[in-house]
Amino acid sequence: MHIDFHQRVFLDPWFITGCCLALLFGIVTVLGPTLVPFDPWDMSFSPISPPSATHFLGINDGGQDIFSELFFAIRNTVTFGLACGLVALFVGVILGLIAGWMGGIVDMILMRVADILLAIPAIMVLILAASLFRPSPWILALILSGMMWPTISKAIRAQTLTLKESLHVKAAAQIGASNWYIIRRHLMPEMFPLYLIGFAAKARMAMFMEASLAFLGLFEPSRKSLGMMIAFALKYYYMDIWWNWLLPPIVCLSLLIMAVTFLAISLEKVLDPRLKEALG
Amino acid sequence: MPIYPKHSMKSRLGSVISLGIAALAMIYLSYSLPRLLPGDFVTAMYSSSQVTLNAQQEAEHRAYYTEEPGFSRYLLRLVRLDWGYSYAFLTPVSELFLSALPCTLLLLGTANIIAMFIGFITGVEAAWRRESPFEKGMVGGMTVLEGIPEISTGIILLVVFALNLQWFPAAGADTAYAEVSIWVRLATIGHHLVLPLATLVLAYFPGNFLLTRNSVMMVIKAPFVTTARAKGLPPRRIRYAHAARNALLPLVTRFGLRLAFMITGALVVEKIFSYPGLGTLLINAIQARDLPVIQAVVLFSSLIVLTIILCLEFAYRIIDPRIEHAH
Repeated sequence: MHIDFHQRVFLDPWFITGCCLALLFGIVTVLGPTLVPFDPWDMSFSPISPPSATHFLGINDGGQDIFSELFFAIRNTVTFGLACGLVALFVGVILGLIAGWMGGIVDMILMRVADILLAIPAIMVLILAASLFRPSPWILALILSGMMWPTISKAIRAQTLTLKESLHVKAAAQIGASNWYIIRRHLMPEMFPLYLIGFAAKARMAMFMEASLAFLGLFEPSRKSLGMMIAFALKYYYMDIWWNWLLPPIVCLSLLIMAVTFLAISLEKVLDPRLKEALG
Repeated sequence: MPIYPKHSMKSRLGSVISLGIAALAMIYLSYSLPRLLPGDFVTAMYSSSQVTLNAQQEAEHRAYYTEEPGFSRYLLRLVRLDWGYSYAFLTPVSELFLSALPCTLLLLGTANIIAMFIGFITGVEAAWRRESPFEKGMVGGMTVLEGIPEISTGIILLVVFALNLQWFPAAGADTAYAEVSIWVRLATIGHHLVLPLATLVLAYFPGNFLLTRNSVMMVIKAPFVTTARAKGLPPRRIRYAHAARNALLPLVTRFGLRLAFMITGALVVEKIFSYPGLGTLLINAIQARDLPVIQAVVLFSSLIVLTIILCLEFAYRIIDPRIEHAH
């Protein structure tokens, strides 16, 4: 699947929009702690005050600066999503390659395990784990990626099976290349587009899950998160401060999910060979 | 491509077996996980109440509420529909479960059917009118909508229509204690349903649209569509009987999976609108450490998923006869 995707993808307006948004959130994530004017856990300001020159978005009910809170919340949500996506991608690619390349009993066992995991609702396991053990967010991210790898590894396995029959891989086997060499030099680089699609889709799902779990109050309350900010702000809807407290996290969460969705959809459109043919 | 008739049978058996293992895994998880939890019902209940227990009473309570049935007995009781009593509500779990189930079914079922229907029709029409302003506008709008999570749509709808404009009620599924005729009652239920339903439809519809459009695009250039055109069939017949039928499979999968994950799918929306479905029941049960209820909801939502996946396996073969032969 040698696709000259660099040029095609950069012509897609969705991809460009997604990239710009992602860049913005990336800057907030990396530089967040240095950009915020106040410590988001500092409770020394007068509670529920409207926006002012020093506090751009006002103060929440706990006397904390909402603007600083927002930056830390974005940081947490983004890192959770990226971590989940990376781990799921890593596990999915390795297991998919192994299943496709080895075939036989290994393939069967791995794919059956994948089927079983696909049939278990991930959010139920997360809710049970989060509510009963109160683990750190990293453990939850690990559990979630443990539930998310099957779709990636199924796609990788299918592509491995096709590539296995291709001429250059057979030629490499003929000249005595080892399994590891073929996987490393031929299979892994060629499936690069699939990694991007899988990663974007999984990161999107993970950010969504993080927001839902935080909204339901299943993370520790001191951890800043977009979902939790929404849940807290919603309690004060009657006080006419919703536009500076409730709206920012909602807009940020929507823009964040939108950025990843745009990237996922445009990558899929350009890189999926079947779709590419149909859409021209 | 060679045809292996035996393989189809084998793969069906294989999927039944793996779904069976998944079911057992979920039953075991629902049995073991709550048992490992740090707090227990007695602590959760009496730490927040005025009642003080003496040591003996507390020991008796604890012995009663943390009774250990063992996994095999747990399985047996499950089959006998003896799911125990809720600690917090002091009613049989099955009663709580069955009173919450209709709400979730009503909300999620209607949302899924509406979203699938609109998504399918608009998707087919958009694929047919390629490059037209209608198609371009729809694709753009749907891509943006796909990026807005249901937390955001739900809260915006709640704040605008329920809290500021006050057109719709903000919570619940029905007006309590009202003795009215059946028609008035149905109207009330419908009135309560509007906002959560709209949120879910807005969340599910864009995905259905994009999926239908893409899969119809893939078949629209196929030779059989050209043949249908050459035969002079009316365009609507070509669109729906020829092109769309072949693109139906992914949509049915999506519909089935959405329905299968219905309890988990509605958790957030039920919480936003305080809709008394299974999601709300689960969240309340977790807060009260109401072990039997948590187990029942987690378990049955998982078993519903497995059952629907199994049904999908068989539905594929009816919708698309190629699968029976092509394995």
